Amino acid sequence: MASVSDMYDVTWEEMRDKLRKWREENYRNSEQIVEVGEELIQEHASKLGDDIWIIYEQVMIAALDCSRDDLATTCLHELKKQFQGSHRVKRLAGMRLEALERYDEAFKMYNDILQDDSTNTAARKRKIAILKAQGKSTEAIRELNEYLEQFVGDQEAWHELAELYINEHDYAKAAFSLEELMMTNPHNHLYCEQYAEVKYTQGGIENLELSRKYFAQALKLNNRNMRALFGLYLSASHIAASPKVSAKVKKDNVKYAAWAASQINRAYQLAGHGTKETKCSLKAVEEMLESMQIMPS
Amino acid sequence: MTVIKLTTQAYCKMLLHAAKYPHCAVNGLLVAENQKRKDGQPVLCVDCVPLFHGTLALAPMMEIALTLIDTWCKENKYVIAGYYQANERIKETRPNQFAEKVAARIAENFSEAALIMVDNSNISMGCYDPAISVFEHHDNKWKCRDASIDCCEDWSEAQKIMSALLEDRSYDSLIDFDNHLDDLRNDWTNPEINKSILHLC
Repeated sequence: MASVSDMYDVTWEEMRDKLRKWREENYRNSEQIVEVGEELIQEHASKLGDDIWIIYEQVMIAALDCSRDDLATTCLHELKKQFQGSHRVKRLAGMRLEALERYDEAFKMYNDILQDDSTNTAARKRKIAILKAQGKSTEAIRELNEYLEQFVGDQEAWHELAELYINEHDYAKAAFSLEELMMTNPHNHLYCEQYAEVKYTQGGIENLELSRKYFAQALKLNNRNMRALFGLYLSASHIAASPKVSAKVKKDNVKYAAWAASQINRAYQLAGHGTKETKCSLKAVEEMLESMQIMPS
Repeated sequence: MTVIKLTTQAYCKMLLHAAKYPHCAVNGLLVAENQKRKDGQPVLCVDCVPLFHGTLALAPMMEIALTLIDTWCKENKYVIAGYYQANERIKETRPNQFAEKVAARIAENFSEAALIMVDNSNISMGCYDPAISVFEHHDNKWKCRDASIDCCEDWSEAQKIMSALLEDRSYDSLIDFDNHLDDLRNDWTNPEINKSILHLC
């Protein structure tokens, strides 16, 4: 089979840089990481210097995702040799056991780490991940809440909690978790937008108005967020159509919805540029917006 | 009782969606031709529109997708006939509350709507078994249909083509509605994949 460097005409430095980019931006494109990383390790190990250890770690985790236990074991072996007694490596050994569904052994490994070092957040989070993998959502949520009482600044954990709550359809608690994230990351348009979606899903006029405000906020932070634009259109339309709102609120929301609709049309026109397929979807969007239009009562 | 069947294109695109995001839950819609059917003739789902991956249970984007795809259906003489979902965990094959809600909404417009759960553990390179369970609406509940009923119009063709698509890693180029929302130029009708499937037939 052709090598990656042959197929894509890249040098080993470019492969190494790609791996770094994926690592820094937390991509989970495991098949690609395995393809590139395995070749880098096999053909160019000597040139990588100290980078090789973090690459072993990255490739090992990707290998677990792809059921490549052979590759994962090789990487783990090299890391164990180099960093004897390391908790970081022990966590990787635990992850391998998780991938093999040997959860009890993995659990024990993480507990060993925690006995040595009770503040090891990685081991604690893996234990919660095991609960999630076993479908024990209620316990996972409980453990994660306990973890967050201690490590209140862990954003990844707050986001994981929000998603666990959404999956359990507990939108109120998901909203609370996202509020924590928005407080510490006021400029993050994605948190704003997801919060708005949760509020919309909760339903009711008050939540709809809140959702509209947060969709608008997300747009202010990033005016190209299409989800926020669509969300603004939807929430404003529903508020305007509700019999429970005053005439002024109705009028305001009809205006917001109309503005959002024009922006949506514009965005589709900009994306379209005359290709046949996108002409179809532009038409579909126009018709959709028309079909959802609120008749002024 | 009406039976739902899938064409090769519908089946393959659905499974490609699941294969593209192995670590996420995915969902999407199935569409059928909008025509009068004779008694006993099965509902044939001719295409699949992959929708979202990751956190599925939120309403706004689902509402947008349903409305937009409904409009597209009307233009193409299709009707939304089903909803599919692949759960995040490999062993979780039951539909959750959100899946039932969306399927019920579709059933309001198309009474024989089906809810299809992808059986993740049956997705393999060889495609030995159909990797789906079909749920039908009876007495306000979604009940799993007998697995022995053929879910595909032509299973051996679907199997052969699915296998070839997985080998080729065609899932890398599959576009779902989430991808479309990230970049409007991404086309959720997946014309290139449709061409590949036709080519392999």
